[in-house]
Amino acid sequence: MSVILEVKGATKRYGGLVAVNNVSFIVNEGKILSVIGPNGAGKSTLFKLIASFVQTSAGEVLLRGERISDLAPHTVARKGVVRTFQETTIFKSMTVRENIIVAHHLRSRASLLGFFLGTGLAKADEALFAESADGIIDFLGLQTIRDELASNLPQGHLRALGMAIGLATQPAVLLLDEPFAGMNHDETMHMVALVRRLRDERGVTVLLVEHDMPAVMKISDRIVVLNFGEKIAEGTPSEIQNNPKVIEAYLGAEDAAIGM
Amino acid sequence: MSNKQRWAAVAFFLLVVLVIVPAAIAASGRVDLYYTLTAVALLSIASAGVWLTFYIGRINIGQGAYALVGGYVSALLITKGDISFWWTLPLAGTFCALLSVLIGLPILRLRGVYFAMVTLVLTEVSRLTALAMPFTNGAKGITSIKLPAELNILGLTIIPDFNTLANPKLAFYWMAAIMMVLTYAVLWRIVNSRLGHLCRSLQQNEELASSIGVNIAWLRVLAYAISSFFGGIAGASFVAISQSLYPSSFQITDSVNFMLNCFLGGLGFVFGPMLGTLLLYFGWDLLFATGRFQLLIYSSLMIALMLWLPNGVLSLMDRKGVRQ
Amino acid sequence: MEQVVVNGLYLGAQYALIALGLTLIFSLMNVLNFAHGQMYVLGGFVTYTVVAQFGLPFIVGLLASGVALAAIGALVEKFLFRPVIRNSKREESTMLLAAGIAFFLDAIILLFFGEKQRGLPKIVDGVFNWDFIVVMPYDRILIGLLAITMVAVFILFMQHSKTGRAMRALAQDKVAARLMGVDVDRYSMIGFALGAMLAGIVGGLLVTITGINLGMGGPTSINAFMMIMIGGAGVISGAIMGGFILGMMESVGLTLLASSGEITYLAIFASLMVFLAVRPQGLMGKPWG
Repeated sequence: MSVILEVKGATKRYGGLVAVNNVSFIVNEGKILSVIGPNGAGKSTLFKLIASFVQTSAGEVLLRGERISDLAPHTVARKGVVRTFQETTIFKSMTVRENIIVAHHLRSRASLLGFFLGTGLAKADEALFAESADGIIDFLGLQTIRDELASNLPQGHLRALGMAIGLATQPAVLLLDEPFAGMNHDETMHMVALVRRLRDERGVTVLLVEHDMPAVMKISDRIVVLNFGEKIAEGTPSEIQNNPKVIEAYLGAEDAAIGM
Repeated sequence: MSNKQRWAAVAFFLLVVLVIVPAAIAASGRVDLYYTLTAVALLSIASAGVWLTFYIGRINIGQGAYALVGGYVSALLITKGDISFWWTLPLAGTFCALLSVLIGLPILRLRGVYFAMVTLVLTEVSRLTALAMPFTNGAKGITSIKLPAELNILGLTIIPDFNTLANPKLAFYWMAAIMMVLTYAVLWRIVNSRLGHLCRSLQQNEELASSIGVNIAWLRVLAYAISSFFGGIAGASFVAISQSLYPSSFQITDSVNFMLNCFLGGLGFVFGPMLGTLLLYFGWDLLFATGRFQLLIYSSLMIALMLWLPNGVLSLMDRKGVRQ
Repeated sequence: MEQVVVNGLYLGAQYALIALGLTLIFSLMNVLNFAHGQMYVLGGFVTYTVVAQFGLPFIVGLLASGVALAAIGALVEKFLFRPVIRNSKREESTMLLAAGIAFFLDAIILLFFGEKQRGLPKIVDGVFNWDFIVVMPYDRILIGLLAITMVAVFILFMQHSKTGRAMRALAQDKVAARLMGVDVDRYSMIGFALGAMLAGIVGGLLVTITGINLGMGGPTSINAFMMIMIGGAGVISGAIMGGFILGMMESVGLTLLASSGEITYLAIFASLMVFLAVRPQGLMGKPWG
């Protein structure tokens, strides 16, 4: 088991407010790690730090030993750490399939000029992307909505599209932002299975931020718990469930108690 | 629209612009219209540049600066360097593109009205620079610029010397029309290629665009450079026609007009700026007959249009599948 | 040196008033009033007409300018900006509308007041002369003091009056303000009217000193934009600072580079661009996310 991602003392300050305070943990390749915590615990900010959408105030993030924190976001994406977004999709006016094709940009071999001129390499790329997009559509079970306009999609499908867009970049590490939010039990279970398949069939390491405790317990290999920007616990699902500090943090914050 | 239909439309458009219109003008005797339409064509090139800046989500009220700079590059090269106008065209455009990279790198981070205001200042700066610099001859401008000489490549005369032409106005019209067609062809291709997709991803969600590997800073600079190239060649072309150039040739009003041309036509459509330029320029010209009331009627119509069609004229066509 | 400072203060006070009006409108509606310069010119002409043609005292002229521009501002907001903001998908439509309104006002000014430069005789004669270190005509001092007073009154009004507080709440957070029961439409209209009124009053003030003519509209708008860019758009302190800084820069520039007004402005503009590239939010503006 190798370490793919290491967060070392990551800290983010906004003026006087410390959003993330000296958080450290490692992620093993091909595992699913969830970050949980009450509202305002700093989970989203942590994700932004990892994907380098905000600068660190201190600490660093390493991908296979190489520092990726504070690099330009598109560079980090190129290195394989890709973040999905909750509700937004790239092109409201394009279909699901077109969206996924475009998202393959990261892996294009032809240059922009090549695409402008329509060179052979560009055409080959386009064909490759179309094929890959179809594969992703099948994988995620999006066949029924493949030609639906992204602007017409309901929440659950948008979420799936977001994941599809993330997959198109062939990530090493995929950061999922609340993938189960707003879903009923069946939908959640379906999504849990999908995320598991991401790990099992495509070897993607998954980091997710979530509030849906049952789902988190079911899916995670490891869990990191944040409160007020600090890591208060880390461990397997059963360890976390029985951790008094975690229970207190959740009860104290008037959030749903941990339970199955 | 299938490919065949598209090519047919293009051919038809070329026929109208290059053959039918000049024939109509010649027949009607209204030779002043040559200049009017030439101006429309050139202005629509500059407006196309502004449209491209909109495409990456920035409001550009500075195209007048590049038109002026392009004009001066061309004028100086012709008068002091004795270089043929035809070569100064790409040189002017390239110079503007490079200049815009320098300027764009720091300012493209700004958004919305902030970016708009900086570009507004840019237009003023270029005018003042033209006034103040020793080699630009200040307020007296550069005059007596020669008509375009012949373009001779490998012994073949591709474009004859304008001094020898019986009807240089028609020649200028063709020049402008062809440049306009080429410009819009490039624009159309950009929009409908991957480059266009990426620009639209910038507009919609910059963070998501970054996630799929778009280098947003670089893409913006690229679009801005192309936009300024268009501004430069438009300005240089005007120099050839009017054979003179002053610091006041392109001012803030012009920058604003380029922007207005885009709005009016509709920012969601590649041919929006072409239509907008045509309407605004002709509209203004036609209203000349109303004398003192010209500006009043013009502005009232503009306001009325904003109230009725706040998304531009072409938004009338706004059905799914038509919008780009 | 003192002369330069005093000149700068005098210019700064006028500019601050103009900038305040513009920034108020911007903070409330996120609209850059392209027509602000034209409103200034219109105010000048109204005062001129009232004083020179009807023979009424200067104060009446000023009041007339204020009222007229407030009315125009209110009408423009209610019948033009409000529907366009509601109906358009892009924020650029309001810019186009503002540009159209600027042209429209230019046209009105042309038709009603003509192209000629107009001026009014000094309201106070004589020159303040402090040992030739500072030389300033009394009327300028008076106008300067009036402007500073108005800036102070404006600030107090925004801080302490119910209307002022409602507008500040609106500027900060439209949704929250609405939830608190602030009538967004009404206060947008009041804000626009107030902004226009300020521009008009400055026009009236300056018609006795620099005169007024049709062509001043555009450049005044540009200067006003620059001021709020320097100081930070949408922030009152920013507008005031921007106004005074521009006034001071002009005064310094024109003294140092007395030969060339162009180079002064070129230097000002160029340094502004550099400044904004480094600090886009201006001096007092909110930092960028």
